Amino acid sequence: MEFEAVIGLEIHVELNCATKMFCDCPNRPGDEPNRNTCPTCLWLPGAAPRLGRAALEKAALISLGLGGELQPRSAFDQKVYYYPDLPKGYQLSQAHLPLSRGGGIEIEDGRGGRKTLRIHHIHMEEDVARLVHDTEGRTPVGLVDFNRAGAPLVEIVTEPDFRSPFEAMEFLKALRTRVRYVGASDCSMDNGTMRVDANISIRPRGSTELNTKVEVKNMNSVRHVGDAIAFEIARQRATVEAGEAVVLHTRLWDPDRKATFPMRGKFEGPCVPDPSVPVIELSPEWIARMRARLPEMPDARAARIAAAYEFSGEEARFLCAEAEVAEYFEALVREGVAARMALHWMATQLLPALRERKVDPGRSPVGPGRLAALLGLLARGEVNPGAAREVLLRMFDSDEAPGSIVNAGALQQESDAEHLAALVDQVLSYHPAAVRDIRRGQGRAIGFLIGQIMKASGGRANPRVVRELLHQRLSSGDGPG
Amino acid sequence: MESVFVYRNPEPAPPGDGTLAGLRVAVQPNISVTGWPTEAGSRALERYRAVEDATLIRRLRTAGAHLCGSTRMSEFGFGLEGSRAGESVALTEADAELVLDLMGECRAAGLRAGVCAYKPSYGLISRLGLIGLIPSMESCGILSGSVDVIRRLLAVMAGPDGLDFSLPEEPVPDFSPGACRAAAVIGVLAEARDSLPETERRAFDSVLGEIESAGFALRELSLPEYALFPLVHGIVGSVEASSSAGRYDSVRYGVRAPGAGNWNDMYLESRREAFGLVVKSYLLQGAFFQFKRYGAYEDACRIRARLLLGMDRLLGQADLLVLPAPGAAPSAGRLGEVLASFDPSMFANVTGQPVLCLPADEQGGAGFQLAGARRGDARVLEAGERLLNLRGRE
Ligand SMILES: [Zn+2]
Repeated sequence: MEFEAVIGLEIHVELNCATKMFCDCPNRPGDEPNRNTCPTCLWLPGAAPRLGRAALEKAALISLGLGGELQPRSAFDQKVYYYPDLPKGYQLSQAHLPLSRGGGIEIEDGRGGRKTLRIHHIHMEEDVARLVHDTEGRTPVGLVDFNRAGAPLVEIVTEPDFRSPFEAMEFLKALRTRVRYVGASDCSMDNGTMRVDANISIRPRGSTELNTKVEVKNMNSVRHVGDAIAFEIARQRATVEAGEAVVLHTRLWDPDRKATFPMRGKFEGPCVPDPSVPVIELSPEWIARMRARLPEMPDARAARIAAAYEFSGEEARFLCAEAEVAEYFEALVREGVAARMALHWMATQLLPALRERKVDPGRSPVGPGRLAALLGLLARGEVNPGAAREVLLRMFDSDEAPGSIVNAGALQQESDAEHLAALVDQVLSYHPAAVRDIRRGQGRAIGFLIGQIMKASGGRANPRVVRELLHQRLSSGDGPG
Repeated sequence: MESVFVYRNPEPAPPGDGTLAGLRVAVQPNISVTGWPTEAGSRALERYRAVEDATLIRRLRTAGAHLCGSTRMSEFGFGLEGSRAGESVALTEADAELVLDLMGECRAAGLRAGVCAYKPSYGLISRLGLIGLIPSMESCGILSGSVDVIRRLLAVMAGPDGLDFSLPEEPVPDFSPGACRAAAVIGVLAEARDSLPETERRAFDSVLGEIESAGFALRELSLPEYALFPLVHGIVGSVEASSSAGRYDSVRYGVRAPGAGNWNDMYLESRREAFGLVVKSYLLQGAFFQFKRYGAYEDACRIRARLLLGMDRLLGQADLLVLPAPGAAPSAGRLGEVLASFDPSMFANVTGQPVLCLPADEQGGAGFQLAGARRGDARVLEAGERLLNLRGRE
């Protein structure tokens, strides 16, 4: 029998607010353990939660950025479970009245088409404490770090619209881009600011039934999400083909063994409304203000850039995958750089250099103004492309203007034909074998000769002039040979 | 005999001229006063000391009140078993005592000690620093021999503080007499009156006579769903309690059972040891409704909303309501008996409305409850003070 998979995702995104969700403690989970705590986030008796404005606003921006509809009334509930990472005994979460309903993301389905993956709802939630397993002497001890307790989260719950690991991965990448665009989180699965659980079931292809699902957790990269889903689909298919039933439970992905393993579920019961956090009432005016704060989202921006500069969809999406990259590009164009040159230099030089240095494009030591100045020198023929690449690398370690670096390094382009002709003749005289090869029709050697001439000029020769001179010399039959 | 106080403030009364200067206020140890033992009458909070003042405590201090100590209380202030609430006032060791009212405890304590008891409107006083059990129903009650003292304390404690967001952002009402239109019509809830046994009904009827002779017009009103108040309280209250008490895990404070092999057993055994029979039964009742009868809980929430509307409708037909006082709470007993003794007072915890409870007087006048509309505290206090003064004159 042919099976198809039915997959839904639950994505936790930790908001990058300065403070926690219900108190004024710094939202910096990575600090020295238990430094960022107060009676509210230690959940001491008598403490009262106070929902912060920033958390609500960032959660609202994410909802709008994903096409969700902000609800005029939403409220917090107590999600009861007993575990040492939650000494309060319940987590504040929006179980019954979520902040936002609906929304979705359109992805490329990998077969040349587009597919919309729908979002069921988006709700706010507080994070729990972090458990650290350690030993004191030989005794194993469990330590609790409350820095993360009460950190602001949103949970994005999708419809079970996904049919393949590929779709899940594409969705997550697009989701990450959008959340980063609205500036609400860096969405790093590596650092745990984005955590993904997948609910997976299988059914005969063409059927519409929803079968028993299995939840898979603990994936710390988008690729692992794909691998874990693929593994789980295969496991369920093998189970069904062996005539056994799929059992409702939760499994953990083990990236080393590339497999999922059953885990003991936490006891969880139905949620009851929390009386301490007031119902959140959002006025149409407030929602309109949030909508006005929404930046141009990646799809719209890519469409605009593709149309404005005659880029392919792929080129435009490449530039818009990160807001900072798109902003850098547009700043270069505003500085007068030709759009295609800007795209080319960002894709082949700037972004690889930043990646190598592990620097975000928004914090590039070579800002758009300085790069535009360099590309201006290139466009005017004052440096050649090779020297420009060299200058760019030097600019990462220097505050100087590209012009000064060019002068200091004597990297100006040499276009003077008379001067270069001497250099060409010299190189030809050193390499008679190459000249012979060319005259016998072996064109490959011409690249070698150009390389030698460039080298002899200290990288400064104008490659166009060199090429012209070489053609002259080699076709006229003059010169050594 | 054990002292009424479990903790006495060693510091002298503060000097100063605030509006409450010279007033001695006792609290129960489920109200946070920085550094004071704050065990809420439960072994689950053994060794716990408050790390910050409750908002209302901060305000009392600012107004110059003298916090004289904390009094013996029932476990989490639920019921009156083991409680000596109200005695500090009766013994004139304090001018007022603050007692959380979860289902009528403050009012029952006032009746027992022979002093006035006031349960303010829900949402009037910040709950920050109150270690309660039923967050949507409890409010900080005030016991005193004088309605004026109650009024002055209320004026200091009421109002949003920016720290308890559950308080509505509404201006604090003026509680002074004359600030609102005085009550003229007092409604008598037929269902409450009819539920009384013969002798108590006669006593209540003589209270009605007193009220009429004080110049109020009486109007008989009906709320057919009156009997549902205890049912709603029993379900919603216990579910909230079960959720609220989840935080008592005996890790940082509270009695810890020795010898458990893992955290789960440690929780189970410590909680078995920490809670008394009545509270434990109540928490189990709540867990039952939450996990096994969630539909009943949802029904109870819906009925609660309907009861609120019903009560609003009654208070559109009368300025205030008079209801019989709750009976004596058992000093020990099973959960069912404890709950039953609070049947007549639970309505106000379900609706959040203010109630002044006047005790029986020496001439044989029975105790009774005077209830108003939510945030209509001033009118309740004004009428209650008038009735109390008349009683004193006879
Ligand atoms: Zn905090």
